[in-house]
Parts: sequence; structure tokens; C-alpha cells
Amino acid sequence: MTLTSSNDSLLTSAPQHTGSLTAARARLVGRKILSAAIVLWGSATVAFAAQAALPGDRATVILNTRAGQAIERTPTELAQINSQYGLQDPVVQQYFHYIGGLFRGDLGVSYQQFRPVTSIIGEQLAPTLILTLTTIIFAWIFMIVWVTLTAGRSRLVSGFGEFVDTVTAGLPHYWLGIILLLVFALGLGWFPVIGGSSIRGLWLPALTLAIPLAGFMGQATRTEFENSLGQLFVLSARMRGMGDLAVRLRHVLRHSVLPAVTLSGWALGATISGAVIVESVFTRAGIGRTLTTAVNTQDLPVVTGIVVLIAALYVVANLVVDVIYVLIDPRLRTSA
Amino acid sequence: MSSFSCLGEGCCFESPAGYAARATAVSTSSGRLGNVALCVVSLRCVTRARDSASRPSLELRHIPSHLEESIILRSRSLITSLVVLGLTAVAVTGCAESSTSSVTATRVKGGTIEYGHQQEPACVFGGWIEQAYLSYQVIDNLVSLDKDHKVVPWLAEKWTPSDDQLSWTFTLKKGVTFTDGTPVDAAAVAYNFDHWAKGGNSTAQVWLHGYYKSAEAVDANTVKVTLQKPYPRFADNLTQSYFGIQSEHALKTRSEEQNCEAPIGSGAFTVGKWNRGQDIILKRNPNYTSPPANAKHTGAAYADTIDWKFVADPTTRVATLRSGETDAIYDVPAIEWKTLKNEGFQELKYVTPGRPQQISFNTAEGPFTDERVRQAFAYSLDRKKIVETIGRGVIPYEGNGGVSQTTPGYSETAADHYDYDAKKAQALLDAAGWTKGSDGVRAKDGKRLEVVLPYGAGSIINADGAAIFQGIQEQAKAVGFAVKLVPVPPSAFFAGAYSKQTERDLAVGYWTAVNGGILDINWRPSTADDPNFNNAAFLDDPALESSIVEANSTRDISAQNALYAKAQNYIAEHALSIGVYDRLSTLAVSPKLKGVWQETAQGGPVFYDAYLVK
Amino acid sequence: MTSLRPSVLPRVRSHPLVAAGPGLWTSIAVLAFFAIAAFAPGALASHGPTALDLDHSLQGPSFSHWFGTDESGRDLYSRIIYGTRESLAIGVGATAVSISIALLLGSIAGLAGRFVAGTVNRIIEVLFSFPTLLLALLLVAVLGPSMITQIVAVGVGTAPGYARIIRGQILSAKNSGYVEAAVALGHSRWRIVRAHLVPNAVRPLVAIIALSIGQSIVWASSLAFIGLGVAPPSSEWGALLDAGRTYVTQAGWLIIVPGLVIVALALAATTLGKHIQNVLEKGEK
Repeated sequence: MTLTSSNDSLLTSAPQHTGSLTAARARLVGRKILSAAIVLWGSATVAFAAQAALPGDRATVILNTRAGQAIERTPTELAQINSQYGLQDPVVQQYFHYIGGLFRGDLGVSYQQFRPVTSIIGEQLAPTLILTLTTIIFAWIFMIVWVTLTAGRSRLVSGFGEFVDTVTAGLPHYWLGIILLLVFALGLGWFPVIGGSSIRGLWLPALTLAIPLAGFMGQATRTEFENSLGQLFVLSARMRGMGDLAVRLRHVLRHSVLPAVTLSGWALGATISGAVIVESVFTRAGIGRTLTTAVNTQDLPVVTGIVVLIAALYVVANLVVDVIYVLIDPRLRTSA
Repeated sequence: MSSFSCLGEGCCFESPAGYAARATAVSTSSGRLGNVALCVVSLRCVTRARDSASRPSLELRHIPSHLEESIILRSRSLITSLVVLGLTAVAVTGCAESSTSSVTATRVKGGTIEYGHQQEPACVFGGWIEQAYLSYQVIDNLVSLDKDHKVVPWLAEKWTPSDDQLSWTFTLKKGVTFTDGTPVDAAAVAYNFDHWAKGGNSTAQVWLHGYYKSAEAVDANTVKVTLQKPYPRFADNLTQSYFGIQSEHALKTRSEEQNCEAPIGSGAFTVGKWNRGQDIILKRNPNYTSPPANAKHTGAAYADTIDWKFVADPTTRVATLRSGETDAIYDVPAIEWKTLKNEGFQELKYVTPGRPQQISFNTAEGPFTDERVRQAFAYSLDRKKIVETIGRGVIPYEGNGGVSQTTPGYSETAADHYDYDAKKAQALLDAAGWTKGSDGVRAKDGKRLEVVLPYGAGSIINADGAAIFQGIQEQAKAVGFAVKLVPVPPSAFFAGAYSKQTERDLAVGYWTAVNGGILDINWRPSTADDPNFNNAAFLDDPALESSIVEANSTRDISAQNALYAKAQNYIAEHALSIGVYDRLSTLAVSPKLKGVWQETAQGGPVFYDAYLVK
Repeated sequence: MTSLRPSVLPRVRSHPLVAAGPGLWTSIAVLAFFAIAAFAPGALASHGPTALDLDHSLQGPSFSHWFGTDESGRDLYSRIIYGTRESLAIGVGATAVSISIALLLGSIAGLAGRFVAGTVNRIIEVLFSFPTLLLALLLVAVLGPSMITQIVAVGVGTAPGYARIIRGQILSAKNSGYVEAAVALGHSRWRIVRAHLVPNAVRPLVAIIALSIGQSIVWASSLAFIGLGVAPPSSEWGALLDAGRTYVTQAGWLIIVPGLVIVALALAATTLGKHIQNVLEKGEK
């Protein structure tokens, strides 16, 4: 296992400990949980430290953002904010206070919205998850169809297939999004301009993120696909009289999609970064814009809360990738 | 779809209906690429026109002459198809709109007004203009400003200053209640004054600073506000939504979170649900009894609901209006102004009074401590031409650095003080000892004439503004200034980056206000005991300050205006600040929505009188 | 068992596009053009990059303005030419930063002992789960918007992904036959790392590096979108793309042309990269 999140993959190394399978599994699960906890703690710490290092006085930012002015503030004004949020305490103390809260599931209260961070994130989580998952599904469909149709064909078709992969992988999100919006929502009226939270409104945002992702995954899959086409097992399948499409779908594809599975785990984080643009263009709620606003207003509890959340999603996604790996290629289960 | 079948020569104007359709599609006006889209659009419009044969025929509109030239499509390159893809859409809906616009209107009872706003604030009520626009719908003020900038009754029926101008008595309308059921009485109003002064609204606090002393309830319906110094325009200031009257009970008993998200006023609407990142649903207050005197009807609002959406992207916002997903949008991009009007949308535009978008010079440190250098900078710019080009004739040029053209006491003299005159600029710089180096940048005593102009990117200055300042940078370069534009990200900007006199040479920014009193906020000298960080020029000039302070306390309006004008002229003569453009508040409204107007304190949309038509 | 180890890396053998055909030559020509634009923009540009022409704003493409003009009458073609240097610097610089960090972390994670490797793995994971966008936002807040900031932000932001790929390559090379052979021959540990592991891990990266150059410029345009681009009046391509967006419906060339230029560079760089990788791998066999 070289591509999953860590050396000790959940399912692959278990059979090694033939003596006590359950004990080994338990140890492995324990290690996984510990590793996940470390990643979460690390992310929270990095996010906190990075924001503590931001220039300027946080109380000033809080006041200025509330007023829409960028000026210096008087000590009396600042003192009130500092004591309210404990900003006068040493940074280390603030950090321990924060981490302590994290353990209790308390992410703090937003400086700007006066609301608990958990409820802010709670509202934005579902739209983001839906968008991300839809994006990944779309990207997979496009990628599989396109690669199966074009890889390893004539020079012209393969070349064109690869050309499309590269072009789509290089499309800036804003560029693609606004063109999709103008053509399919405004021009043809197939989708609403304001995506909102409706299902019809999900199509264009998901396509905007999925098309470049499909191109990116396609590039990785295509080469594997073409390598596999020349392998012995393909030849033997063909000799058994299997049709071309069946060979491609049943044998070749299975051997070529593993890189794309890995990329999907990565895509989760990338989608959240790309989401900020899609959320603005299609007027969607979501983590991306919330994060941008929170950084802009130095709303530390919100920023750190979102980072911890994304780290958690990432941990889960990688577990899923581990499982999918083994499902796709059972041989990995026994490989050391 | 048939859209792409039109990629042949001369297919655009075959049918007579195509003529009408072509006229509605003026949006893609210039250049060959634009015409490609036009061609496609026309065909679709023809189809639509046939489909809707029962409807009144399409209006013939004025066709700009440059469109008369024949439109021939030669290229089928990738670029072409992308342009077609990208540009088709907009104009297409143009025809759809125009085919419905001429139908006679009948009023719809109730209904939901879909409104596309730009920025989403963190709370409904607060010291930021985006909050003022929103809280106006929910919270009433004591007084309102009418079209002619006259103060008219709102929650207060009448108000009178004492003879010594030091106390103001407001008599409240009887029987008005907040939407939590508590009465709008003198005690609640007095409580609000103290609340603002303590920072309950940061902008209200700045206005009250140095003038407000106390407020007390004389009886149930009479409030007496005591001032430290006379301020004859006190009532004018109270028309801004920063001075909205909230329920005392709600402020005292509810959590900060509740008062942030759904403040309790006595307004025509109440906050229903806030879907963060998407919209706020405002519900009609059925028991509304307290519209301002300048409203067009009494009783409850016509519409049941306002869906106040946050559509951040300007292109998307315009698209929602064209697609019919919104009935009105805020902040129309200058580039779309003409086309939307041609497509039959009603457009409203209001130049907000107060400080315009201007450039203040650092008079305490750096090259601009020399008046001649400041004047040279002003002469080096053709501000009018830059603003009119980039603002597409929509954004008004403003020469006055003190106040905008809609502010009482505005001085034309100050606005016209500096015309573009590169020779004069060169001469002034020569006289000041700045000589041109080999790279075109001037220098003095080995120091280059480099000046730093930071601006709040994505917050205070929008894309048009950024383009305008790049034009200024380029023009100032011609006479030997090296202007360094620094886009400051919001996080650093609000942290006070570039707010100190050592950090910048030029400062830009606007401030909406209803009268010349803004001059005091922007120019009051900063002292150790009483700092004024809003003094962007870092100026300590008793001559200027004395005329402003005198104006603030002068009771006679024309005398007061003369004093404010004197201050503006002083600012212009000494080149302390120069104007660039006026801050605009714009709306584009669908023919389906009638009765929307802009309040004149800050230019926000008013939906109380608005109703939908069929 | 190496044949069972999947690789995210394109391992191109005899792909039509990379055989030295017209595609390759076009790519080389495009890259040569951009190289000239980067080093001697004056030789290619028709106008100054910031020269205002207020009487001719928002003109469509024409003979005098090949790509049209922007809102203040500046020539878009010339702005793209003058923006090449910064755009390439961001693309190449960010890729260099990213690959360097990735090589360091990836090699340690692949080669070091269990404890060190474990620690580095956790670091990679923390970085990996940290959104690139946030990293960029924070860096810009600290350093201010500039070309360097963009290079660092995009470079650091994309490094963990490459680090994982490199670690995977090293692990698979470590278990391969020739390393075992080298060990059997008694070669020193350092020599094995230098002569076998690192080259084997890096060679398949050539195509990824090429791809990453284009991706970095796209990333930079996303930063420009949220107002964190290079300071004006720079005409870095991402900034151009962002500045044109207000005009998309009325002056589409302002956003379409810079978008196509970015895609053209990405395409040319990727095609060349895959070809080089192909040649390298053939040489190996």
C-alpha cells in the first residue's frame, strides 16, 4: 500500500497477524483513531497558531469590521472587547482554553455573528457535503465514460481524448462557472441562476467543479488504462471472445481507476477551496464563503472550527478510500 | 436547441420580427465577437416572438448606429464558439423581458418580493451601510428624510430644539408598538440613545460623540435629549438607520445572538428566517401603524414577504434579474446600466450625501506635507475623464474632496478647483525642488517621489474603483509621481494596516452622511485625550476646524451652508483632499414590481410601498 | 510486486500525442513564444501594458487591438504579453516550491525509520487536510498580496499532494528488484538512495510538474477572484481574468482570451512534459 493515508492501512495488513486476528484488528483500529486524533489536533493547532500570527490587534479588527471602518481604536473601546473574548490573556492560555473547549465539543462563539461556531458550521455543512459528493460522482462519470471511449483508440481519437483531459483540467473555476451560468441558466433557462439549496440548482455548481476534476483524474487514469490494454489478461479475455467494450469496462477499467480513487480523497479538500468561487457565482451557502469571510474578519473561532471540520472530513474520506481500494482490487488485501 | 444553427452568413435579419429582436439585444454592442452572439440571439428571439403571438407585439426600440453595419460571421474557431456560449444567454433573456413589459399591470395581493442584494452583513442592525439598508425595513427611526432633504415625522410627530439649542424635545406618535408587543414610548427611545452612545451602534456613536449628553423621558410620549453643544442639524442625523429605535425590552432581555439576527423594531417587516449565505426572509408586520411621513401609503406593507437574497457576484445578480428570479437588484454594474434600461427595467440611482470617494493627502509626513506637491498631484490628473470612461457615464465624477454633490452646503467652487493641467503640475513640482530622473520619476535630495496609496480591496473599493485608481496611477506617472497601489486584504485592512501616518501618503474612502457635519468627523484634529482616527489627512488645522465647528452649531441654514462651503473651499485650495467620484446607490427593478423607492439618507431600497403586478 | 502497485503518475509509453508529431512542435512553439514574452515583452507587444487610451475603452478585437481593449482602453494583447513574466514566475515558482517541499517530506516519509516517518506522515496529513485556500488567505494577510506571496501560498498549498506521491514512488522503488540487487551487491545506503530511489521517484514526476505549472496559474486566478491577487497595475493572467469578470456579458474577450491563454500554456507544458517523461522512461529500459 503506497497511496493510502498511512502505512498501516486498515484492511491490508490485518491478515499478517494470523495468530490473533481480532486483537490485531483492535490494535489497528486504535492506531487509526489515534492517528485521526493527531491530525485533528494538529490542524486545530496550525490554524490557531497561523491566526495568532496575523498582524494587527484582534479587538481592533472586531470593532472595525462591525463598523465597516478601518481606523485605530481607543483603549477604552478595545478593553471592552478584550475582556469579553479573553483576548488580553497570553496566547498560550488562549490556546489551551481553545483546545480544552474543542475536547468538550465547544468551538466557541463567533465574534461577528454572536453565535456558537457549531451552529454556524452546522448550517453550512450540508450544502458543502452535497456539493462535494455530487462533484465527485459527476467527475467519475465523465472520466469513466470519456476514458473508456477514447483511450487506446486510433491516434486521432486518443489524442483528442487526451487533449480534452488537459484542457478541462486547466479551466479556471470562475471562467467555467460564469459561462455555464450564462448559457444554461440565463440563456436556455434549464437551471435557476441562483443555485440556492434546490436540487435543480445543484447541477451547474457541481458541473463547474466536476469538469476540471474529471480532466485531472482522466489524465491519471488514461495512462494506466492504456498500459492495462496491453497486458496479458486483456489479451486472454479478448481471445475468449469478449467484446471490446466489455473488456474495457470489466477488466481494464478496474485496473486503471486506483489513481483516481486516491485523487478523489484529495479532491475533497480541493473542492472546498474551489467552492468559494462556485458559492459566489451560484449564490450557494457553504463552508467556502463562510471561511473566506471569517478569515477576512479575523473571526478566529469560526476559522479554526472549519479547519477542524475539514480535517475530520478528510480523515473519514481517507478511510473510505482505503476500503474502496480493497474492494476494487482484492489482491491488495494480501499484499504486504 | 436552435441556438447554434445560426452560424451562417447573414441569417440574422431575415425575418421582420428579427428586427425587433435585434434591437433588444443591444447588450453586446461593440466588436466582431459581440456580434456573433447577436446573430444567435436574434434567431431565438424570433422563435419566442412567434410562440407568444397572443401577446402584444415586441416594442421597436432605438437601434444604435454601430449595430446597423452588417453582421457577418466568418470564423468558426474555438474562440467564436466560446464567445457564443458565453454571450448568447444574456441577450436572449432580454427579448423575453421585453415581450412581457408592455402588458397592462394589475396589482397582485401580497406575494413575495425577490430582491438581490450584494453583501451579507453579520448582523441585521449595526454601524455598516449594508446593515443600515437591511435594518431600515425592520426598524423605524424617530424621523425620516424626504426627497427634498427635509426632515419629516416618523416615530416622532414633532420635535423642537430649545432656545439655547442645547435640548431637543421629541413628541412620539401614540399607540405604536414594537413587534414584541412592548410600546414605543419615551423610556424606550431614551434607552436607545444611551445604547448607541455606549457603542450599541458604532456609527451612531461617532455622530453623538462630543455632542450628546443625555436623554430622558419627560412623559410617556415625550423625550428630552440634552446636548453638550448646539447642533441644529441634530434631527437630520437621526434619519440614518444607525439611529433605528429598538425594543428596550428586547435589548435588555434577549441574547446578543438574537438581537444580532432578528432585532425587534416597530418596522413594516420583521426578520423571519436568516439562511446564512443565501437570504433573509422578511415577513410583513400586519399591525404596522408607523410609516414615515414621506411614505406613499399607510397601514401594513403591500407585500407579504421580502426574500432579501445575497447575490455577491455582479454578473450573477444581473442574470437573476433577467431570468426573473429577482424582482429588483442592488448595485447595477456600470457596464449593464444602459442595456438593462433598454430591456425595459426601471433603474433608480441616488448619489449618497456625505463624503464622496476621495483621496486625502498625508499632511503630516512625506512629500505631501508640501502644499505644492499636493496641488501638483491634483493638476496631474484628468479625474473627470477617467471616472466617466470607467464609470460608463453612470458613476458621477466628483471634484469636491469634502462632500458629495447631494450634501447640503455643497461647494461648486471647491469641486472645480483643479482641472487637468500637466504643465502646471510640472511647474509646481519643479518649484518644490522635485526634479525628474532618468526613469521619469522625480526625486529630491536623493529621495524618489514614491507615494503609497493603500485601499481596502474587496471591501471599500470595488472593481470599478480599482480600475479608476489604476488610471490615476498612470496619469500621475506622466508628471513624475510613482504611485504605489497597495490592495489591502480585508483581514489586514480592518486590523488597521496602513492606518498610521508613517505607512501611507494617500488615503481613499467614502462616508455616507446626511449633512456637512461629516466634515467634523473627517477633519477634527486628533488630540491625545480625544483622538480622531477618522482624520485621514492627519491634519491639525485650527482655521479649517473653527469654520466646521461654527457651521455645526449655526442655526440659520443658509449661514450654516456658507460656512460648510467655506470649509470645502479651504480643503480644495490647500489640496488637503480631492474628490474622485460620488458614491452611488443603484437599483434595477423588474416591470413586475412597482412602487420601490430609495430613501434619501443613504440610498437604501424601500419595499414598504412596493407591490407586484401581474 | 511492483506491477500491482498502482501509481497516480502517468506512465506514458508510446502515446500518440507525445510521439514527436505536430502536437509536440506546436507545444514547443507556444512555449518558445511565452519564453520570449517573459524575457523580452517589448519585442512582441504592440502597446505599453499600462498605457491608457480613454477614448477607446472596451473595444472588441480588431486589427489595431488584436485582443481588444479593457475598461480604460489598455491593449489586452500587450497586457497579456507583459503579464507573461509574472504568470510564468508564479507557475514555475510555485511548482518549484511545491516539488522541493514534497521531495523533502516525501523522501523522509519513504526512507526514514518508523518513528520519524510516522511523524512526517502526520505532518503531511495535517497539511493535506488544511485547505489550500485558507493557507493562501492567511499568507496574504501576513505578507500582503504580491507575486511572492502567491508563489509561496500556491506552492505550500499543493506540496502535500506531491509529497504523498513521492513517498509512494520511493516505497515502491524500495521494494523493487534492482534495489534488492543493489543491496545484495553491497552498495552503500546513501548510494542506493541517490542512484536508485530518488531518480526513480522523480522521473515519473516530470509530467506532473508540467501539469502543475498550469494548475498553479489557475490557482493564482482563484486568489485574484477573492481579491488577493498581485498588486495593480500588474497584468498577471489570473489578475486579468479577474478584472475582466465584470464585463463578461458586454466585453467577453476580456475574460475569454486570458482564460484561453492559461489553457494554452497548460496544454503546451503538459504535452512537452509527457514527451520528456516518455523519453526518460525509454532511456531507462
